[in-house]
Amino acid sequence: MNRLLYFARETLVSLRRNVLMTLAGIITVGVSLSLFGGSMLFQQWVDHGTQRWTNGVEFEVFLAVDSSEQQVAGVRQELRDDPLVRDTQFIDKEAAYEEFKRLFSDKPDLVETTEAAFLPVSFRVAPEKAEDTETLVARYKTVPGVDSVVTAQDSIRQLLSITRFLRIMFLALALVLLSSSVFLIVNTIRLATFARRREIEVMKLVGASNWFVRVPFMAEGLVQGAIGAGLAVGGVFGLWWIFDRYRADDPNEFFFGFYVTVANAGRVAVVVVVVGAVIGVLGSLIGLRRFLRV
Amino acid sequence: MIRFDSVTKIYPGNVVALRNLTLNIEKGEFVFLVGPSGSGKSTALRLLLREDLATSGRIVVAGRDISRLSHWKVPQLRRNIGCVFQDYKLLPSKTIYENVAFAPQVIGRPRHVVKSQVPQILDLVGLAKKRDRFPNELSGGEQQRVSIARAFVNRPLILLADEPTGNLDPTTAVGIMRLLDRINRTGTTVLMATHEERIVNAMRRRVIELDRGAMVRDQARGVYGLGTEAR
Repeated sequence: MNRLLYFARETLVSLRRNVLMTLAGIITVGVSLSLFGGSMLFQQWVDHGTQRWTNGVEFEVFLAVDSSEQQVAGVRQELRDDPLVRDTQFIDKEAAYEEFKRLFSDKPDLVETTEAAFLPVSFRVAPEKAEDTETLVARYKTVPGVDSVVTAQDSIRQLLSITRFLRIMFLALALVLLSSSVFLIVNTIRLATFARRREIEVMKLVGASNWFVRVPFMAEGLVQGAIGAGLAVGGVFGLWWIFDRYRADDPNEFFFGFYVTVANAGRVAVVVVVVGAVIGVLGSLIGLRRFLRV
Repeated sequence: MIRFDSVTKIYPGNVVALRNLTLNIEKGEFVFLVGPSGSGKSTALRLLLREDLATSGRIVVAGRDISRLSHWKVPQLRRNIGCVFQDYKLLPSKTIYENVAFAPQVIGRPRHVVKSQVPQILDLVGLAKKRDRFPNELSGGEQQRVSIARAFVNRPLILLADEPTGNLDPTTAVGIMRLLDRINRTGTTVLMATHEERIVNAMRRRVIELDRGAMVRDQARGVYGLGTEAR
């Protein structure tokens, strides 16, 4: 207890002594973690909206709701034997219902009144070559039992490549900012150790353990990282709020199916806090390394 | 209590600070380490505190070979050694009481121990009345007493003093020497580096003389300048 009080007091005094440096550290951590967390959340938003079109899936063959088992087996057989098809993925009624619940999670009434049996089964098809898509679509439209064939829109394909680019950009930017926040914290801690060099000298002389000397400084870095992460958590939930507020609820809208849940935001927030704490402690450890050689 | 076994210390640039030094100091002894500047006195003290490692040879403190002490055990060694310096090394922003209490606090002594020991030690060094003053309000002699109080408050086995009277006038210095003598009488081994002839001669204690890193004299109840006077 005694010791905790001591550490808390020392940390506070030191944080106050370098208000400007501390603020700079906190803000950089906050901004970089906001970018980092924001791009993670954005990625999940896009993933949700484009889940059907990953791994080279170019079109989806929906069977009629009342198609027979023989018809399903026939389509499956034909897809399997088709030399132009690389891979297929079967979505049964249960899986379709799960996805339906997910897509309409903001409309509980609709989910309530819909049963798995009402939904069609489908095959998601990845062709060997994307150019063959049109041929394949034409071919499967006429197979018995098939109700419709849906292709990925060009716009979705473009969106995917743009988000990939954006994500790399954001992550690179976040990385640059994260490393600069580490440097800022390193610098703050160096200044703090310099301001207290006489105390540290005496502490070492009378035999204070290395950890005893280090802890207040590490706490200082941790506080900076944690407050910065707190700001970023606010940013992440702000982004979630925007996504949620403007969620497209008409299946014909382009961004229908693009959404993030509070749970998604919560998980990103946890990652952000952990990264913030790691950055704070890492920064202070680097800052202390040279100074605390016995 | 302290043993040097053929200790040599060579600093980078081939500067030989200690040359094959062998000496043995028993528990409770009071020893002067004398010699001109650069003779290796400070190096010997630095090695004892493990602020530096010897280039070769062995140093044993309280039965422990400190040259082989692992990094994290060094603080434990230092708790057994109190240190007093020419420049006091007091913390200007803390009061006298806080300066002395700092030593037991930072090694994690419980609060009640700090509360009982610090006033006791301030009494011993005669500064009980000035406990709430700051170091810059005190004379040099008083500041050195505070520094001795801080070095002794954790009851170390050994007290190292590096030119403790270097900044003090002769009368004040005598007072400091009385204090060190009193601490020595409690059974604490005292090793004091100095080049003040008068003090050494007045105390008549064991004298170890270093010259250019080598021991040139080890004399029980010695005086300062036997070797140098003869020259």
